[in-house]
Amino acid sequence: MRPYWSPYLAGVGLGITLLAAYVLMGFGLGASGAFAHVAAHLENAVAPGRAQANPYVAGYLEAGRVWAQWIVVEIVGVVIGGLLGAWSAGRLRWRLERGPRVGRGRRLLFAFVGGATVGFASRIAQGCTSGLALSGGAVLSPGGWTFMIAFMAGGFVTAWAVRRVWR
Amino acid sequence: MSWPLLLEGTPALLAGLVLGVGFGFFLERAGLGDPKKLLGLFYLDDFTMLKVMFTAIAVGAAGIGALSAAGVVELESVAIQPTYLWPALVGGLVLGAGFALGGY
Repeated sequence: MRPYWSPYLAGVGLGITLLAAYVLMGFGLGASGAFAHVAAHLENAVAPGRAQANPYVAGYLEAGRVWAQWIVVEIVGVVIGGLLGAWSAGRLRWRLERGPRVGRGRRLLFAFVGGATVGFASRIAQGCTSGLALSGGAVLSPGGWTFMIAFMAGGFVTAWAVRRVWR
Repeated sequence: MSWPLLLEGTPALLAGLVLGVGFGFFLERAGLGDPKKLLGLFYLDDFTMLKVMFTAIAVGAAGIGALSAAGVVELESVAIQPTYLWPALVGGLVLGAGFALGGY
């Protein structure tokens, strides 16, 4: 298992990727939008009437087929890139990352509640740590920087409250 | 040729796939596939996330700024995230809380 790269080296690689996105596409990298597209299409598959009557969900459906959405394809790339990175460094294995004081069931429960919370919050903010903090940060968007500061405040307080899950 | 290219259709999707691979690869190489490492910022014992994110932001901002100053990239064609103050504040707080619970 090879050691991780210097965070500065990885940051330069990520920064060049981000710059390439802006130069090629005219916009930056993202993540949560892909989940919103997939969720809208899932709701449309299960309850089409309800999905199409909701203007917010209908907006995602009007964008067209889910596999033709740029951000969905980009997130597929993220999964492939993560796998490539882990595999080529000998880190690829099946495991549940957790702190030493938490059981598997509790960790998974926290993961589910945390994931749902992140998904909900990304719709309030119209983005997440990728699209707002990282990409918005690089184009000096005041909204992006505001989001980043609020994100760190929310994370800081909550992390101390759930210290037993991670440390 | 004017930049940004503003790709559409299949070239856009191919670019998205390749850019996504880079995104995932560099995050993994930094060790940010591990939530314990990601959350180090909040426990003040591992600042990898901050170092990676701010280095990437600095490289991206400097790159866009330099390409714009050189007349290569037209800033008018670059999508800047609109600012919604309260949604950014409330959404950021809640997203940070969820991130600390779930780990990502």
